Amino acid sequence: MENAFTIAAYVVAGILFILSLGGLSGQESAKRAVWYGIAGMALAVFATLVGPGAGLWLLSLILIAGGAAVGYQLATKVEMTQMPELVAIMHSLVGLAAVFVGFNADLMINYIGGIYENAGLVLGTVGADGITAVGLPKEAYDGLSSFGQLIAKKSGVEIGILRVELVLGIWIGAVTFTGSVIAYAKLAGGSSKLPFEIDTGAKKLPGGHFLNAGAAALSVLLAIVYLSNGGTFTLILLTLLGLFIGYHLIMGIGGADMPVVVSMLNSYSGWAAAAIGFSLGNDLLIVVGALVGSSGAILSYIMCKAMNRSFVSVILGGFGGPAGEQMAVEGEQIAIDVDGVAQSLDEADSIIIIPGYGMAVAQAQQNVAELTRRLRAKGKTVRFAIHPVAGRLPGHMNVLLAEAKVPYDIVMEMDEINDDFPETDVAIVIGSNDIVNPAAQDDPNSPIAGMPVLECWKAKQVFVSKRGQGTGYSGIENPLFFKENTRMFYGDAKASLDSLLTKID
Amino acid sequence: MKIGTPKELFEGENRVAMTPASAKELQKLGHECVIETKAGVAAGFSDKDYKDAGVEVVKTAAALWKAADVVAKVRVPDDGEMKRLRAEQTLISFFSPVADEAKMQAAAKKGATVIAMEMIPRISRAQKMDALSSMANIAGYRAVIEAGNNFGRFFTGQITAAGKVPPAKVLVVGAGVAGLAAIGTSTSLGAITYAFDVRPEVAEQVESMGAEFVYLDFEEEQADGASSGGYASVSSPEFAAAQLAKFRELAPDIDIVITTALIPNREAPELWTEDMVKSMKPGSVIVDLAAEKGGNCKLTVRDEKIVTDNGVTIIGYTDFPSRMATQASTLYATNIRHLMADLTPEKDGVIDHNMEDDVIRGATIAYAQDVTFPPPPPKVQAIAAQPKAEVKELTPEEKRAAEVAAFKAQTKTQVTLLAVGAAVVLGIGLIPGMPASFMQHFIVFVLSVFIGFQVIWNVAHSLHTPLMAVTNAISSIIILGALIQIGSTSWLITILAALGIFMASVNIFGGFLVTRRMLAMFQKS
Repeated sequence: MENAFTIAAYVVAGILFILSLGGLSGQESAKRAVWYGIAGMALAVFATLVGPGAGLWLLSLILIAGGAAVGYQLATKVEMTQMPELVAIMHSLVGLAAVFVGFNADLMINYIGGIYENAGLVLGTVGADGITAVGLPKEAYDGLSSFGQLIAKKSGVEIGILRVELVLGIWIGAVTFTGSVIAYAKLAGGSSKLPFEIDTGAKKLPGGHFLNAGAAALSVLLAIVYLSNGGTFTLILLTLLGLFIGYHLIMGIGGADMPVVVSMLNSYSGWAAAAIGFSLGNDLLIVVGALVGSSGAILSYIMCKAMNRSFVSVILGGFGGPAGEQMAVEGEQIAIDVDGVAQSLDEADSIIIIPGYGMAVAQAQQNVAELTRRLRAKGKTVRFAIHPVAGRLPGHMNVLLAEAKVPYDIVMEMDEINDDFPETDVAIVIGSNDIVNPAAQDDPNSPIAGMPVLECWKAKQVFVSKRGQGTGYSGIENPLFFKENTRMFYGDAKASLDSLLTKID
Repeated sequence: MKIGTPKELFEGENRVAMTPASAKELQKLGHECVIETKAGVAAGFSDKDYKDAGVEVVKTAAALWKAADVVAKVRVPDDGEMKRLRAEQTLISFFSPVADEAKMQAAAKKGATVIAMEMIPRISRAQKMDALSSMANIAGYRAVIEAGNNFGRFFTGQITAAGKVPPAKVLVVGAGVAGLAAIGTSTSLGAITYAFDVRPEVAEQVESMGAEFVYLDFEEEQADGASSGGYASVSSPEFAAAQLAKFRELAPDIDIVITTALIPNREAPELWTEDMVKSMKPGSVIVDLAAEKGGNCKLTVRDEKIVTDNGVTIIGYTDFPSRMATQASTLYATNIRHLMADLTPEKDGVIDHNMEDDVIRGATIAYAQDVTFPPPPPKVQAIAAQPKAEVKELTPEEKRAAEVAAFKAQTKTQVTLLAVGAAVVLGIGLIPGMPASFMQHFIVFVLSVFIGFQVIWNVAHSLHTPLMAVTNAISSIIILGALIQIGSTSWLITILAALGIFMASVNIFGGFLVTRRMLAMFQKS
């Protein structure tokens, strides 16, 4: 720990991590940036292994290799539509690792305390200046591992702070762990590999938020007990409470709010790492934890803004009730067959496609990409409009389209493309609903009033590919489907596009 | 229903309101068709053509008027035809409700229904029946052809072995349907074409046809065409003066002038004055498409071609569509056929004269013994461009003030945030007994959060999923903690640390690999 080389390596690794996040500002620089991240991680692990304190070299390497094998399997097998699940389950691992490392710190404090007692001393006793710890006799100190040495020379106040930090680290880690597992189960739905089934809707135990609040209050109480030498048992209780909160919090949040949940858990896993970093006195852990934590926090903020909802209201689950009588929707949904769509596409010059979670569910991205290729081959302008909360993960649609080899320079963000709809001949909505709901602008009483939406109804013609006449996950009626220039193209997105592709060559 | 078309009686009128092709379409609607013998000859359609198309050919006009339930013709009926018009009969024809008011009254009195093709409202849905537009299109084209016929030079500029030929300069006044057709024809023949219109919003259309729009130095809000159904309205005297001044300036350079300026139900405005004609070069040609309404040039003689003393040819023909009778008849007959399609929505040969329908109501001037002119305004807006929503132009001072205010607000929030943040950090530092070792780590933490916020804001939205995957991978840095702890003497610590190492490394490898996989997919087109 005190090794100058290790610390120098941490500085380099820290810079590499910052660059790897910064490089994500563009698609091309990102490809380079990920190597910075890999190099940083390799350097950090290497420096720690050669540095003082790390024992059991061989075991460590074997474990890393084992983890690598599993990670490789996960990363290469995963379908791009399953990215949200993968990200969620990986967060749970970070959370759990944080819990274990935190517990180890507690165990070590107790262990060192025992050594002090044997030597007839008290851990944390300070010397004449009132700050520096007296410490152990030389021979006992040298016999400790470097982590043990670190703790052994702390003063009483420092030990107290260390405990605050590890309580935070363990608690956040525990919340992250169960929260991520539940998020995984909800995102994976039927294909979940967990031994238990979870309802993907928003479910709460009786008591709802009071249960959460109660558990949180109890956690604070237990933390205080633990800090006043409550012992490891209180820490275990605290962990259990954290696990429960993570479970119950995420259970109460519905499917379409998952982008916020996943980025929030991302943030938590970072803060957990930072808290553990404090307790271990490891600056690199603090730096990376802070980077990840702030990254997740910003993502959550962006997602909330895209839904025009406050973070608190998303976390507490469900939409607020409608503010008043919602506008009645007039008109009827007019269906269209595949020939009609094909003919319109044939006549159109500019086309904008708006994909949503429905496209991911139906695995229709390859068909969408094929349609795009054929239309572009005919010299038509085809672009994609991506709403920030389309899908179940921030940027989910972009990844799916990239997988299907849609060039990223025709995939636009909402702000880039929203003004272009009036000059567009055809807008195709595939599996999205609330993000194209004009009620957000027209109806102040709508539950989603004020949410920024893609103004696809301003296009000359709108086709909506949709399973049936039902409302979206939020249960809000979508006036878009009743507009004069909207035609409903009913059926499974993939099957619909398949039949459409036979008509367009 | 039986739809009949008589031979046009107006002298020089070659068009016919039914063609063999349109008759076939009409029969598909469930109607029967009847035509007077030789009605289509002047337009190039023989009686045999009609018979082959399943049309009954009758010998006399009287027989036709008697047989037909619906009479479709081109020109307004003359007095003889008005006598033949009977109750319960529908007449579809050009029929000016203002100029032919007496005939309209008479028809209404008889109980006949009259649909005037002039009165078809100019809304998108009715474009397919807008005979004025289809005839104006022909007139515009033909005007250029007539001008070329009387013009002694090429339209297009050429450099030949025999010398250089300058291109002709054409000015089209009035960019309505006829004007735009004339512009299109003229530019495709290679002439340098200028165009003028009192409605500034058509400048874009003019330029899209390849002509140059003549702007006036005049500050006045022109009434937008949309409010008057896409037609021009009367301009103010000041505007008219500015317009004439501009023309006077252009006149000596222009070889061919085509004037198409008409205002509905009014005399044509005088736009090309005698002195402008005098200032033109000999051999120049003026085609006055407004000759029927008195002409945009006062020297124009209706239906005649004259040559002025200084050698300028002025063409005042009013029968341009009739001069291209085959084309004109085809278009007009198609307009009529579309109208009939709207009148027989069930396609069962039964006419449903729906007076609630904007188009039918607008075009009907006599119905059920009543004069139904003028019609109420259509429920649907005219096709002309909607005026753009007024965006209030901010003055430079206002803009500056807004910028300053925004800057101040930004400064305020930033300073507030900084103050709160600083206070929190300082507060932590002031806690009694706070060890310096903690504060060192704390500095690192705060700076890292700060860097994180700065860096992450710049991440592209499309890369949010890779961002999550990569942050996931690097948050496994917690492996360092486990690596330090695994060397401990306590077996419990070792086991927990070992588990931590394993899980974190799953995450590290999984996270980085999947990020790379995702990023490799992002391809530029």
